[in-house]
Amino acid sequence: MISTFVKSYEFVLLAVIVSIVTVVSVVDSDFLLPVNLLDILTRSSAPAIVACGLMLVVLSGEIDISVGSLFGFVATVMGILLSTDHLEFPLLIGIPLVLMVGLLIGLGTGVLVTFGRVPSIVATLGLLGVLRGMALLVSDGKNIGGLPVGLQSATKVGFVGLPLGIWVAVFVIAFTAVMLKWLPIGTRFYAIGSSNYAARMVGLSEWRLKLFAFAYTGLCTSIAVIIDVPRLPRIEAKLGDGFELLVVTCVVVGGVSIAGGRGRISGVVLAVVLMTMLRPVLTFLDIGAEGEKWTGAIQGVFIIAAVVGDHLLTRFRSRSRQGNIDANPTELEGEPS
Amino acid sequence: MIQRPREFGWWHEVVLLLLLMAVVIGAGMFVPKFFWSLTQQLRLSRQMWEVALLSLGMTLIILTGGIDLSVGSIMALSAVSFGIVFEASESLPMSAVSCLLVALCCGALNGALVVWLKLHPLIVTLATFAAFRGIAEGVSQGAHYSGFGEAFRGLSHDNYLGISIAGWSFFGLVAVLTVMLTNTSWGRYLYAIGHNESAVRFSGIPVDGMKFSLYSANGVLSGLAAIVLVSRTGAANADVGSGFELEVITAVVIGGTSIFGGRGTVIGTALGVLLIHQTRKFVDLYLQAAEWTPILIGCLLIGSILVYRACSRDSK
Repeated sequence: MISTFVKSYEFVLLAVIVSIVTVVSVVDSDFLLPVNLLDILTRSSAPAIVACGLMLVVLSGEIDISVGSLFGFVATVMGILLSTDHLEFPLLIGIPLVLMVGLLIGLGTGVLVTFGRVPSIVATLGLLGVLRGMALLVSDGKNIGGLPVGLQSATKVGFVGLPLGIWVAVFVIAFTAVMLKWLPIGTRFYAIGSSNYAARMVGLSEWRLKLFAFAYTGLCTSIAVIIDVPRLPRIEAKLGDGFELLVVTCVVVGGVSIAGGRGRISGVVLAVVLMTMLRPVLTFLDIGAEGEKWTGAIQGVFIIAAVVGDHLLTRFRSRSRQGNIDANPTELEGEPS
Repeated sequence: MIQRPREFGWWHEVVLLLLLMAVVIGAGMFVPKFFWSLTQQLRLSRQMWEVALLSLGMTLIILTGGIDLSVGSIMALSAVSFGIVFEASESLPMSAVSCLLVALCCGALNGALVVWLKLHPLIVTLATFAAFRGIAEGVSQGAHYSGFGEAFRGLSHDNYLGISIAGWSFFGLVAVLTVMLTNTSWGRYLYAIGHNESAVRFSGIPVDGMKFSLYSANGVLSGLAAIVLVSRTGAANADVGSGFELEVITAVVIGGTSIFGGRGTVIGTALGVLLIHQTRKFVDLYLQAAEWTPILIGCLLIGSILVYRACSRDSK
C-alpha cells in the first residue's frame, strides 16, 4: 500500500509541494502562519471546484476552454440578480437561479458537442467569445458593486476554523471522488475516454455521459462563483479572464491524460494547490520589484517543467508495468469508421 | 468505362465566398460609406494582415492534427526583443533579424516538445503560451519601446496598388502554399499526417522532421507578424498580440479546416480571415459596441460548423 503510494504521481506532486513549503519557510518563517496557509486554500477552492467538473470532461476525451468566460458571465448575472443596486432578489431565490444559469449553459455546451457534433474545442472556443461578450453586454461594461452583506459575510464565516468556501470545495471534491471511484457512472467516464468504440460496443451511452460532464462543469463553475466572487469588492465583466488556462493547466499537471481515460482526482487537487501556491510563494521569497515582473515567466517555466515531468514519469511507470483501472497508461487511439 | 469528371472539391470555399458577399452587401445597407467603397476597405484592411499571416501557419499545423496556442505570446516576446535590440543598436535590420531569431527559437521549442517528447500540442503550447508571455514581461520590465522611424512605419503604411507590403506578402504566401498543398508531395503528406499519422510514418516519410519544421516556421511567421504589428502601431511591449491565438484559430476553423486535421485549404482560411474582418468592422462602424464582436465571431464559428455538419455526410 505504502510502496504503491510512493511510486504514484501524487506522491511526486506532494513532495514538490512539501519541498517548496520547506524552502520558503526557511527563508521567511512567517509563511507558515495559519493566515497564509488559509489564504492559499481559500484561493485554491474556486479553481479546485471547477477542475472537478473539467476533469470529467477531459476524462471523457473532450475539453472545455470556456470556463473562464462562463465564470465571468455567471458572476455578472449573480451581481445583477443579487446586488442592492440592481434586482435585489432574496438569496433563497437568487442563489438557485445562479446555479441554474451555469447548469443550463453547461448543458447547452454539451448539446452542441453531442447532438450538434461540433468538436468540443471549437464549440467552447466559440462560447469563450460569446459568453465574454454577453457578460459585457449584461453589465453594460460597468462594475457591479453592492452584493448583499449577508452573502459577503456568509463566505467569511468560519466553520471549525475554516471559511465556508473551503468546506464547499471539500464537499464538491469528495462528491466527485466518490462518484469516480464507487459509482458506476465514474467508471464509465474512464471507459469512454480510453476507447470510445469499445465503450459503445458494450452499450454505454456516450452522449448521456458527455452531456452530464459538461452540465456538471457548468454547475461547478456556478458554485465556484458563489463562494469566490463575494470576496471581491466589485464584480468586473472581465472577471475570470485566463481562468480557463489555470484550470486546464491544473487538470493536466494533475496527471489527467488530455486524450481521456486516465487520471485521478487526488492529483488534480494537489496540482490546484501547487499552482495557486506559486504567487504567494514568490511574494514571500521577496524577489523585489524587478523580480516581481518575472512572476509570469517563472509560472510558465514551472508549467512546462510539470508537463514534461509528468510525461517522463508516465513513460517510466508504464515500463515498470503496473496498471490498474484509473492509472492505465495505454491510450487507445482512433476507431474504425 | 466512362471516366467520371473529378469531383468539385471547393464547395466550402464557394459557400464562404457567398457568405462574405452577403455580409459585405448586407452590412453595406447600413454603412454604405465603408462597405461599398474600395478605398475605405483597402485603407482599413491594414489592420488585418497580422492575423492573416498567422492564420496561414496555423492552417498548416491544424492540417496535421496539431494546434499552436502560443502564437500571440511568441509575438510578444519577439516584439520585445525587437524593441530591446533597436534601443541598443539603432539598427532596423539587426533588430528585425534578432526578432525573427527569437521567434524561431520559440517555435523550435514547441516543435521539439511536440516531436521528441511526443506531448500533445495543445498542452505544449498552453504551457509555452504562459511562459513566453511571462518571459516577455520579465525581460521588458513593463517598458514600452517606440520611435522606430518613418522608414519602418512604411512597411505597413506605404501602399502599392492600395495594399501594403504585409498584405502583398500574405497574398504571395497564399498562392505559394495553395500550389504546394495541392501539387507537391510535401503538401499531400501534410494532409496524410492529419488523416493517419502512423500510416504515414510507416510509409517511411520523415513525419518528425516535417512537424518540427512546421512549428519552427510558425514561430518565424509569428515573429514576422510581430514586426508588421509593431510597424503599424509604432510601439512594442509585452502586451503585443494578446488574444490573437483565438482569433487566428477561429479564422482557420471558419475557413473549413477540420480541427482534427486532414481537411482544409489555405484559400478557405483567407476567406475566413476576410469574413471575420468584415464582421469586426461592421460591429465597430454600425453597432459601435465592442462587446458584440466576440459574440458575433463566436456565433459565426459555431454556426459554420453546425451548418457544415448538417450538410456533410462523412462522420469526421
